[in-house]
Amino acid sequence: MGVVAAGALPAVLAYPNARLHPDKFIEGLVGMTRRSGLDWILTEASLEPVVGGLARGAKSTIKGVILPLQSEWGEPNTVEPIGLRGSDPCLLQHSSGTTGLQKAVVLSHDAILGHADAYAEALHLSPDDKVVSWLPLYHDMGMIAAFQMPLALGMTLVQLDPFQWITAPVLLLHAISQERGTVTWLPNFAFNLLADRVHEEELEEVRLDTMRLFVNCSEPVRSDSLRRFVERFRHLGVRPEHLSACYAMAETTFAATQTTPGRAPVTLVLDRSSILNGCASPATERPVRECVSSGKPIRGCELKVVDETGVQLNDGQVGEIVIRSEQMFTEYRNNEEDTRVALRKGWYFSGDYGFTLEGEWFVVGRKKDIIVVAGKNLFPEDIEDAVNLVPGVLPGRVVAFGIDNEAAGTEEVCVTAETELQGETERKALRREVQKAGMRIDITISHVHLVSPRWLIKSSAGKVSRRANRQRILDGELTKG
Amino acid sequence: MISDRLKRTILSELDLDEFDLRDETVAGEVPGWDSLSHVRVISAVEAEYGARFKTLELLKLRNVGDLQALVNRQAAK
Repeated sequence: MGVVAAGALPAVLAYPNARLHPDKFIEGLVGMTRRSGLDWILTEASLEPVVGGLARGAKSTIKGVILPLQSEWGEPNTVEPIGLRGSDPCLLQHSSGTTGLQKAVVLSHDAILGHADAYAEALHLSPDDKVVSWLPLYHDMGMIAAFQMPLALGMTLVQLDPFQWITAPVLLLHAISQERGTVTWLPNFAFNLLADRVHEEELEEVRLDTMRLFVNCSEPVRSDSLRRFVERFRHLGVRPEHLSACYAMAETTFAATQTTPGRAPVTLVLDRSSILNGCASPATERPVRECVSSGKPIRGCELKVVDETGVQLNDGQVGEIVIRSEQMFTEYRNNEEDTRVALRKGWYFSGDYGFTLEGEWFVVGRKKDIIVVAGKNLFPEDIEDAVNLVPGVLPGRVVAFGIDNEAAGTEEVCVTAETELQGETERKALRREVQKAGMRIDITISHVHLVSPRWLIKSSAGKVSRRANRQRILDGELTKG
Repeated sequence: MISDRLKRTILSELDLDEFDLRDETVAGEVPGWDSLSHVRVISAVEAEYGARFKTLELLKLRNVGDLQALVNRQAAK
């Protein structure tokens, strides 16, 4: 808030973790500072040795590192109000990615405050609500929903450390119980993790019946995850009507649609192939897919489904979701081209596929090949670039894509790479090196498929096709012999 | 010193044939051992030893050696 009051534009960046190679961390940061135009880093003393070099190197735009906690706190300075307008930028929200694909979403004061009011209305929030969150602040769900909303609306926030939570998920339930929490936001995988990995004896004296809303957002909502969560914690007071779903993105500040509080999200059982064919129909005998509604547009948001030429489609027809919002982002900072592609005549082209039925919105897939692992968006290009450098992999003959892990309730990263290596020992070593290449950019590659030269299918444009090769792997072609 | 039993349990959960696990090894050095799979690894170790670790004990773990020491303490009870 101090940074904003000083008329500067803050961005919360991810803390470096042990897995990410320090050089890669710095490389990513240098790229980000140049693209987003970042001038100063405010951090803690222990990180100074890591990021201090940025201020001295010519590559980054960083002018200096400030350590606020090390400063002598004298008398507060009297800061003259600088006359901010509502349309002025308030903060920058970065998407993930390491090789230049991340974008810096600029949000205005009007967008953030307008969103806080509209989303609070959709969730029936009041100052009596208490938010409990383990989400990191560099993620839009952590920053906007769990942090800015309580700040704007005067609600209490109980914030847990993300690293501690993932090590001991039960901490969230303890915090809810002790603090009498009422609202939390969780990516889908967290519902599975809590349902599967919490021991009953850790739940003595835990009560969850103060909770009004467990909001599932930031990755595709799976009905199985919601069902398991309710079954697991019903004895502590969790009911289906406490579950909730939201469709959100940084470009609309956060929420675009939200289910009605106090009602379980609507779930449809549809014919799987009908969705692929572009027209959602009720299930017949064929394979089915359960689709969970993300609710209805929040105030100030208007959504429509369009075909490839931008023509609006009817109820039940699957197409790209486009959004017009009073809480729309201003631009991608220093990136006119991407702004122009995403924002056309006031409509944001989300890149998500979905449909609407009787006023409820359903998101069923993505136009972009983004992989969503535990609520974090990963770009396949980043992974492919890293794997391409591994000796033994044929350059340019790599694809990365996501495959579902039903048990974990999220996606896993799968890499398929061509190689001329034949020996089993050599191939085993190569698989390990491919995994290590992922580790260096802090991405876990769960499956490595090595294939012979010219195995990968190319698209008509001559590029290796992620979709076609993903389908080939899913069809089991590798195991057919 | 990491026991064969603990090593086998961890590697099998991570679907790894071989990896040199030492006292000072940290999760981030081991392919597939990230924050998301950590809970699975701990569950597998608990199942193998019929143990239940406390939240505070888990939060204090710094490396594989600490996990071995925790397993040893449980076995001594």
